[in-house]
Amino acid sequence: MTHFTRRDVFKISAGGVAVASGMVAMPSILRAATYPSRPINVIVPFATGGYNDRLSRAFMPYLEQELGQPLVIVNKPGAGTQLGNSYALNQPADGYSILCTSAAPYIPLTVLLQNAPYKVEDFSMINLPSRDYTLAATSSGGPVQTFAEVLEKLKKDPSSLSIGVQPASADYANMVLAFQAAGIDASKLRIVTYDGGGPARNATAGAQVDVGFVGGEGFLPLKSKVRPLAIFAAEKVDWYPDAPLIGATLKTDFVEGSQRGWAVSTKLKNEQPEIFKILVAAVEKASKNPKAIETLKLQELATTWYGPDASNKAYLDNAAKMAKYVDLLK
Amino acid sequence: MIDVSAFNDALGIMFTSVGSWGWIVPGLIVGLVFSAIPGISITMAMAIVLPMSLYMDFFSAIVFLTSVYTGAGFGGSVPAILMNIPGSPSSFATTFDGYAMSQKGEHNEALGYALFASTLCGIAGYVLLLLVIEPLADIVLRIGPVEMFAVAIWGMMLLGSLGSTYISRGLLAAALGILLGTVGMNTAGFTRGTLGLPVLLDGIAPIPAMIGLLAASQLLSLASRDYIIEAEGSREVSLRKILKGCWGTLKYPGVLLRGSIIGIIIGAVPGVGSSIGNLIAYAETKRTAKDSATFGKGNPKGVIAAESAVASGEGGSMATMLALGIPGGGATAILIAAFMMHNIVPGPSFIETQKPMVYAIILNNIVQAIVLLAVGIGFIYVASNIMKVRTRYVLPAILVIATLGTFAVTGEAAGPITLFVFALLGYALNRYQYPVSAVVVGILLGRMLETEFLRSYQLSGGNPLYVLERPGAMAIFAVMFISLAMTAWGKRKQNRAEAAEALAMRQIQEETRAAHTTPSKG
Repeated sequence: MTHFTRRDVFKISAGGVAVASGMVAMPSILRAATYPSRPINVIVPFATGGYNDRLSRAFMPYLEQELGQPLVIVNKPGAGTQLGNSYALNQPADGYSILCTSAAPYIPLTVLLQNAPYKVEDFSMINLPSRDYTLAATSSGGPVQTFAEVLEKLKKDPSSLSIGVQPASADYANMVLAFQAAGIDASKLRIVTYDGGGPARNATAGAQVDVGFVGGEGFLPLKSKVRPLAIFAAEKVDWYPDAPLIGATLKTDFVEGSQRGWAVSTKLKNEQPEIFKILVAAVEKASKNPKAIETLKLQELATTWYGPDASNKAYLDNAAKMAKYVDLLK
Repeated sequence: MIDVSAFNDALGIMFTSVGSWGWIVPGLIVGLVFSAIPGISITMAMAIVLPMSLYMDFFSAIVFLTSVYTGAGFGGSVPAILMNIPGSPSSFATTFDGYAMSQKGEHNEALGYALFASTLCGIAGYVLLLLVIEPLADIVLRIGPVEMFAVAIWGMMLLGSLGSTYISRGLLAAALGILLGTVGMNTAGFTRGTLGLPVLLDGIAPIPAMIGLLAASQLLSLASRDYIIEAEGSREVSLRKILKGCWGTLKYPGVLLRGSIIGIIIGAVPGVGSSIGNLIAYAETKRTAKDSATFGKGNPKGVIAAESAVASGEGGSMATMLALGIPGGGATAILIAAFMMHNIVPGPSFIETQKPMVYAIILNNIVQAIVLLAVGIGFIYVASNIMKVRTRYVLPAILVIATLGTFAVTGEAAGPITLFVFALLGYALNRYQYPVSAVVVGILLGRMLETEFLRSYQLSGGNPLYVLERPGAMAIFAVMFISLAMTAWGKRKQNRAEAAEALAMRQIQEETRAAHTTPSKG
């Protein structure tokens, strides 16, 4: 049996306090030196099974390999990513919570249309490998053959074709911009709204609507059931090469579609630059791992490395364009 | 039709990967247990096990997940029958007659009926799927908003068979349910009734709301008793009686067939899910039955109708998923994710290039349904022992489990809070004799009614004659009205006969009274 004198107890507790206060006051360099020392949460603001969930799970083993710590995927779906985004910002900025999300257009949209309690600049991108574009398509058996035909018909009679689209989305903005550029009376269009890309795609493939404006990537499994009319991208899209570019038919401004990938809070980037660097390096290495590229490609998931600067720029450009055209979305 | 050489290859896959069969029983048990817990739906049960399946090879993972799906399709009916609390929304209609049966001491038989209906129609659904997977998928894609609106209206007709003392209160309760069902952002992007709370943007979570409404009234009424069933002699758990119920199911082939057809078609339609098929199958069976007055009072046909639609809906939902790569409901969305995580993208090209694999998956589901029969009997046998436990132990346990269930999946307090608020609402509704089940039907169907009506309006540009361009919708409405008219005609004939009988009775009474009274007055 050991006997503690009062002095010993004082010494021990004083030491404890000193250690504890040392930890609190530990400079960020020191914290970064031990980072990561425990599992890291990956917050996915979508339900299990969506693109971001699949991306995070497929990429997980390669990122774990670089970071040397296990990753835990936390699905926080709801309110167009607003719940998950708020949750992510409420976590301590210590590098143990990172986001895998469709940063654009969801973050700008929640800010512009839902008065979300954060700013677009509160999030900093690490890498956004997946870039989606709005695709105007029709059912493969449908009578319409080209986008020019669509514009011509609608110019004559705006109610001659029905249009399927998700409201308050990049696709919606692109649809309105294209019709404005073509001089079509938008007030008489028969627009059918769908609460998600999936239902809008089904309606297009099933010829329930004549033309659908939806993110193109989701059409890939249904490729044989639809005819692509125009894709809202500046250059040929490598995952849908047979989709004609919008620029070929019509001169119009457009918004890029979903940009999905890895992000953190800007607070972390500013307060813990060392940790941010470690995360960036790990994502870069994992993205360039040939095995990761091969595995993710088989699952139709993107691994392209753009880096934090290019990704952030793409994200902020998208946000600025969304803000510019916000009146079209309401 | 069926491709014989692919079918033979499928048998080959089945027997060369015998190791994956070992996942059937664990999968079924996981599905049964999770879905029997009030507050955890089939989708959630599958979401929980999805990450686990990543570490298996492809066929094993699919066997495991579909087994969970098969088990979960039945598990929800166990608390529905024993305690009047549906384990998941798809077993809501099972409570109507299932609980009434168990109150009569026929819980063993009721569970037997439910299990056999579930297994038989599960098999029927998959056999049909094996034959018509491709044509079915094409038809499903053509079902548009007008057709869906007709289906939703059909579902609402269930309200007529719920039976409440006051018609006005029933309608008011249904209206309240629909109103609650439309909270959140609608399909056109307008936000209603969220009180500024971001969690309500996606609407009121139907599962905690339903459990709150139903469980509150039910648990409070149980609290006054010592045991769930008062008569001591009825509390036994009898394998013989369970088997008797199983066997008894075969006496109602018509009910099984109707339930299966409704289940398959509704299950196959993308985005509807399994929680509506059971309502329609129940309502249709009740309306067309000769003994419709005994529905809701423990008629086995009610249990069979509801369960058959749930089980066969699974096959329909799988058809859409395999053939088109489109999820019919939440559970198949998880399955698609599992496919993709194993580098396989379901859809038209998958079914063309990998037909043997598609057949093998379907065949394996048939095997699962057969295994479910054995595992299910064991599960029922164990679960029924809850009847022998005093309510003072059962009720707090159920409350805690239900609360945890609504919390666990998202890890947000929103679930338990919804549960609590709706429990209070359920208590108030019960206190003033408003039918709680009408509110639940409204919540389950409200969103679909609004969404499909709005889309029909948008598509037609406001022209009601548009419905004439949709033969499918006209057919659904026609079947609905003919069936209604025939019921009304039958009721009228019955009422007339009863009235005539009553008149005759009164005349006889009056004559005898006259014979008695006249002399005494004089």
